[in-house]
Amino acid sequence: MLSSIPITFTLNGQRRTVEAPPEQCAGDLLRDGLGLTGTKLDCREGECGSCTVIFNGEPACSCLMTAAQLEGAEVITVEGVGAPGTPHAVQRGFVLEGAVQCGHCIPGMIVSAVSLLERNPAPSEDEIRYAIAGNICRCTGYAKIVSAIQRAAEILAGEQAPAAVR
Amino acid sequence: MTTETATRHIGKSISRVDGLEKTTGELKYLSDLLLENSCHGKVLRAAHPHARITRIDTAKAEALPGVVCVLTHRHVRGLNRFGIAQPDMPVLCEDKVRYVGDAVALVAAETEEIAKDALALIEVGYDVLPVVDDPERALEPGAPPVHAKGNLLHENGVAKGDVARGFAESDVVIGHRFRTQMYAHAFLEIEAGTAIHDEKTGVITVWCAGQYPYRDQLQIARALGWDPEKVHVIASPIGGAFGGKDEITIQIYLALLALHTQGRPVRLQLTREESMEAGTKRHPFIIDFKAGAAKDGTFKALEVEMVSDAGAYATLSGPVMNLAIEGASGPYLWPHTKIHGRAAYTNNGFSGAFRGFGTTQSCYAGEQIFDMIAGQLGMDPIDLRLKNALRRGDISAMNHEIWTSVGIRETLLVAKESRLWRERHARRGEFAPPLFYGVGVASEFQATGLGKGIPDFAGSHCDLEAGGTVVVRVGGIEMGTGVMTAYCQMAAEALGLGMEQVRIVAGDTEETPDSGTTTASRSIYMIGNAVTRAAKALRKVLEAFVAEHWGDGHTLEPGGVFRRDGVSLGLAQIAQRAASLGTRLRGEGHFVHPEADKDFGDGLPHIMYSYCTQVASVIVDAETGEVRVDEVLSIPDAGRAINPQGIEGQSDGGVVMGASYALLEEVLMKGGRFVNANFTNYTLPTAVDCPRRIDTVIVEVPEPTHEWGAKGIGETVTVPICPAICNAVYDAIGIRFFEIPITPERLTAALDANPECKAMRAMRGVGLA
Repeated sequence: MLSSIPITFTLNGQRRTVEAPPEQCAGDLLRDGLGLTGTKLDCREGECGSCTVIFNGEPACSCLMTAAQLEGAEVITVEGVGAPGTPHAVQRGFVLEGAVQCGHCIPGMIVSAVSLLERNPAPSEDEIRYAIAGNICRCTGYAKIVSAIQRAAEILAGEQAPAAVR
Repeated sequence: MTTETATRHIGKSISRVDGLEKTTGELKYLSDLLLENSCHGKVLRAAHPHARITRIDTAKAEALPGVVCVLTHRHVRGLNRFGIAQPDMPVLCEDKVRYVGDAVALVAAETEEIAKDALALIEVGYDVLPVVDDPERALEPGAPPVHAKGNLLHENGVAKGDVARGFAESDVVIGHRFRTQMYAHAFLEIEAGTAIHDEKTGVITVWCAGQYPYRDQLQIARALGWDPEKVHVIASPIGGAFGGKDEITIQIYLALLALHTQGRPVRLQLTREESMEAGTKRHPFIIDFKAGAAKDGTFKALEVEMVSDAGAYATLSGPVMNLAIEGASGPYLWPHTKIHGRAAYTNNGFSGAFRGFGTTQSCYAGEQIFDMIAGQLGMDPIDLRLKNALRRGDISAMNHEIWTSVGIRETLLVAKESRLWRERHARRGEFAPPLFYGVGVASEFQATGLGKGIPDFAGSHCDLEAGGTVVVRVGGIEMGTGVMTAYCQMAAEALGLGMEQVRIVAGDTEETPDSGTTTASRSIYMIGNAVTRAAKALRKVLEAFVAEHWGDGHTLEPGGVFRRDGVSLGLAQIAQRAASLGTRLRGEGHFVHPEADKDFGDGLPHIMYSYCTQVASVIVDAETGEVRVDEVLSIPDAGRAINPQGIEGQSDGGVVMGASYALLEEVLMKGGRFVNANFTNYTLPTAVDCPRRIDTVIVEVPEPTHEWGAKGIGETVTVPICPAICNAVYDAIGIRFFEIPITPERLTAALDANPECKAMRAMRGVGLA
């Protein structure tokens, strides 16, 4: 490994500077360096999607990025989406629909779903399935994950309705 | 059993207790743990699938700056073997390697990179031996022995009546040879963990996902030559296992490393390829399956011969073959049977526990043969199954009485009445060549629990703790199935509490009692019974404590409030009084599994089974060779559903896993080496590939020996779907597949080889061929 360099980026809305070897895997930096273990590394080759974060507004596999690539970027991890006391509509949708089993794919799924609903607040079933096609789940068969994202879209639409009326 | 009373939690689709923690990333898995000042471990794997070790020289690795320790078999002070059923797997190989995942040395270093560099500096001399890569050839005389005792690892069989007579009395007899592939668990959480040796107390603590912490503790202690009391294992929660974390994975490596890092914690995380190559797989099977029936469909005789490829070590290959034997008959009545199986050692990785546990393989063969019999007799496949379906009290194909609940008939009746089945002929007309539509059905019964002669017990403690929370302690683990939510429901129901008043502590050899393994679809039944009994016992303890300290005449009301003459007394107040007196308010619950009245060794047979029928429709594209599963109806018999949403989730996931077994996944090996050991070339189904519609209808035939009438369904929902799809493909194109997965390559080759099959004739009929 090269020696550490300072890397400044925005993480879950907060500007941070961290010292890290530039070629370190960004996922390892998030998990081991910054303690944000919600992001999972389940294949380290961009196939499973468990490490998905929102990188400059787009879902991306943090396992395929280096720490140096984070310089100047805006990164949102699952921890930045919502917390147990203040869950995001997508997180509530997943719990209500029973879309969680072992849970290891779930943070990546949540991030992909949040990103989808930001781009497309009323996705079709096909659009949902393609949006999470980069996230492997071995437990659920995806059925309840698809319903959870539909449910989240409804929750979000409901939350926005009063604003529209005003 | 209290199935008839109104319930507050049991039978309700209550959201998972770990749902928010998992969706927010708050939940810490054991692989997430990184203790301060940790060293990092790595494992040196065998360079060859079969070779003698001539020397191991670690001097250069030890000299590398940043290396903390390099360990070989010389550092294993106890038994240098592990394995659940028989310990034949070296912790660190001393004289021979038998598969490419065999561990030869361990390194701990300041960083993972240094540890990796150190592996390359360890010099191991090998004399390469011939590779044994075919289980049938492995059993032939003169085959190179994988183990000194030879390549026959396990052999067992059962018989009833006289099969020769049974076949003579049959009007139709059909037999065929089937093959199944090696299949990967592909749980998402790769094996990883941390261990630390507390030099003051002498205790080693191991944080590592495993399906039975108490057995992991024993296997670790046995390898160290230690008292198990000095080994503390924390094994829950788990990010997916499916049987693949039942055997020891890295726990012993962690403990050994921790002994040589001067009290510093050591972390070890495998790579995905390492996990695929070193870890358990589902056995490939070769199955000769023959069955005979009378004109009216009555089953007469069954003869099955099986060989499984166990790979290099025993682990649970014996019990897996036993369940294949037990499951071969399907949930049907047979007057004459002869079922026999052998498991062979080879150098093809190693196979062991996997959701379905052997029944997956024999059900895949049998349910196709039964469909062929129905076809030959011109019978509806569901009618054929109904005609032979087991009833409670029947004598099994192994000649033992099944006195527990049997729900197969009820599942078949739901299938028969379903839209999917009734409209199966009508829908065909919607498709024109090259697309063909077909519908298939299959049923299964899955032996649950550990079986005859294997200690099968569960314990649970229920404590009233500070603040009035009831803490349920179980030695079982949460690997995703939702059992913790179900335990919470059962305890809350028994105590009349709200779900939020109950908390679960699981899978920790210091904090929780031994509840046995989290395998064999046994948790809801075994641990559920123990939890319910513990909660009921706590209720009695609380009533006595309240009577003693506040006087007689209190009644316990819902929500955990004791009331007398309008004055209420809450659980928090009771907990406070108990704490001030130093009294522990604990209820203990235990349950021992009932056993069969016959004994065929190694857990055979079982006395309890879960039942499931599944119907699948497929669309076959005869041009591309693709099979798309259109719709699935899954009908498990849950005894009594504790949490219907949880069962639906198990069923959805089981269906997709089983469909992938039929159509997609295969671990490929060449000369004992893995060809597709990562997620780039071991393809898993995504949300786009899997069936769009899965409906689950839960049948409830209560099990009298369970406190709430429940039994497990985690495995049975993943088994019949594979033969149901095979039967649907036959229905669509008129070709049987005796080898899975039915890949596009296999399907197009089969079409070319069968110019007179239904699909090829139809293609010619419209001028396409």
